[in-house]
Amino acid sequence: MDLLTMIAKMSEGLGRTCAIFFLTLLFSLPLGMIVALLRMSKSKVVSGVVRFIISVLRGTPLMLQLLAVTYGPYYLFGISISRNKLIPVVIAFAINYAAYFAEIYRGGIESIPVGQYEAAQVLGFTKAQTFLRIVLPQVVKRILPSVTNEIITLVKDTSIAFTVSYQEMFTIGKQIANSQTSFLPFVVAGVFYFAFNAIVDFVMGKAEKAMDYYK
Amino acid sequence: MKKLIALLLALTLVFALAACGETATTETTETTETTETAEARTFVMGIDAEYPPFSYIDDNGEYTGFDVEVCKAACEKLGWDFQVFGVNWDEKLIQLDAGECDCVWSGMTILDSMKESGYVISEPYYDNTQVILVKEDSDIASSADLAGKAVAVQLGTSGEALLQGDLADLAATFGETVTCDSFLKCFTELGGGAVDAVFVDMPVAVAYAAQNEGFKIIDEQLGAEQYGIAFRADDAETCAAIEGAVAELVADGTYAAIAEKYPDIVNNLLFLQ
Repeated sequence: MDLLTMIAKMSEGLGRTCAIFFLTLLFSLPLGMIVALLRMSKSKVVSGVVRFIISVLRGTPLMLQLLAVTYGPYYLFGISISRNKLIPVVIAFAINYAAYFAEIYRGGIESIPVGQYEAAQVLGFTKAQTFLRIVLPQVVKRILPSVTNEIITLVKDTSIAFTVSYQEMFTIGKQIANSQTSFLPFVVAGVFYFAFNAIVDFVMGKAEKAMDYYK
Repeated sequence: MKKLIALLLALTLVFALAACGETATTETTETTETTETAEARTFVMGIDAEYPPFSYIDDNGEYTGFDVEVCKAACEKLGWDFQVFGVNWDEKLIQLDAGECDCVWSGMTILDSMKESGYVISEPYYDNTQVILVKEDSDIASSADLAGKAVAVQLGTSGEALLQGDLADLAATFGETVTCDSFLKCFTELGGGAVDAVFVDMPVAVAYAAQNEGFKIIDEQLGAEQYGIAFRADDAETCAAIEGAVAELVADGTYAAIAEKYPDIVNNLLFLQ
């Protein structure tokens, strides 16, 4: 197998890798905000429960969570396993990344001085207006570097989907490596991931620049 | 790239020639010795030195592999001197007849033609047969029924190799081939209904179907082959001696200990079932 055929074959899986990446971001970014707000809830019960869930999600490997989401329902309740593996993969990834994003959001929100809330109250802003118009725009600016970190990690984590036999790019790479007894597919995979992350880096860099309006 | 390959090929050729020359000379001196001292018999094992994990040359340039280690241990049991001779695989039986080696033992598939030609063939020790495992209530009855179905196979197994090689035509009829990283996941996918069948080594399928209810093996063997040892036609005595020694190795656990070092083949070893 020459290099071009190899790249062509692995590119087929690249679409699936992108599917995991974009769908995970689509669901986990907003879900993370909901989790962050619940985590900061005034109710001790709610914040305690959410805190425990976050600690489980951050404290166990994503690979195990993926296995649990895909095969757990079958082993526990006899529910049949989805033929489209993208569904359990995205559910597991979105939940896991939401936990990380929630903590990043919380850090950002809590970094806003209390004085700003008081000032907003004096000026007659409602609580929702204060959050959306005053707090959130500043939070987004502050958390962007940490979010970029997570997004870059997500690109590389997509390879974990192999655990549940989802045929993404790295899975196909492994299959070629095995049948051709060649390490070349891993090199190709490395280049693919690096190029992907170079794009992420570029886009997020642009975004950070665009948010730089106060300086 | 091409130059590099050519260079590598040239190098392997040089080494192969050197190795052949060496074994050939030592072999002749050894045979003269054995005629002098009848007590310490030298047993020359014929192998294909390029067939890992059964027989190959390790990083130190020594012959090793599952078959080599078992043969060495068997010779120790019998008190025979042990030697390895790298045969030319296409002419292995001619070389056996010529007395260049005393057996061919190297992941060799037992063919009916060998028995018809009169060679003494040992009991098979390795089963490379592939079967299809399905759910008990499945309407799949043969490999032809797999057309359009989702079939799971484990990455890096002989089943996967077959589906890409000899059975590629069959694999092309599948609706989808799902590659899992373990047998357990293949079977779980089947149990949970994510795939319709699992293409798997027969011993593994038999063991799983025996331990778990609701599965059946389709009565059709694909890529059926078993490995055995070939001896010269007049040499049933040696065959019996080796078989006896191997049986002892199995009984005292040495065989299993050697097999543990070769996890890729351990499931298919017939003596360990």
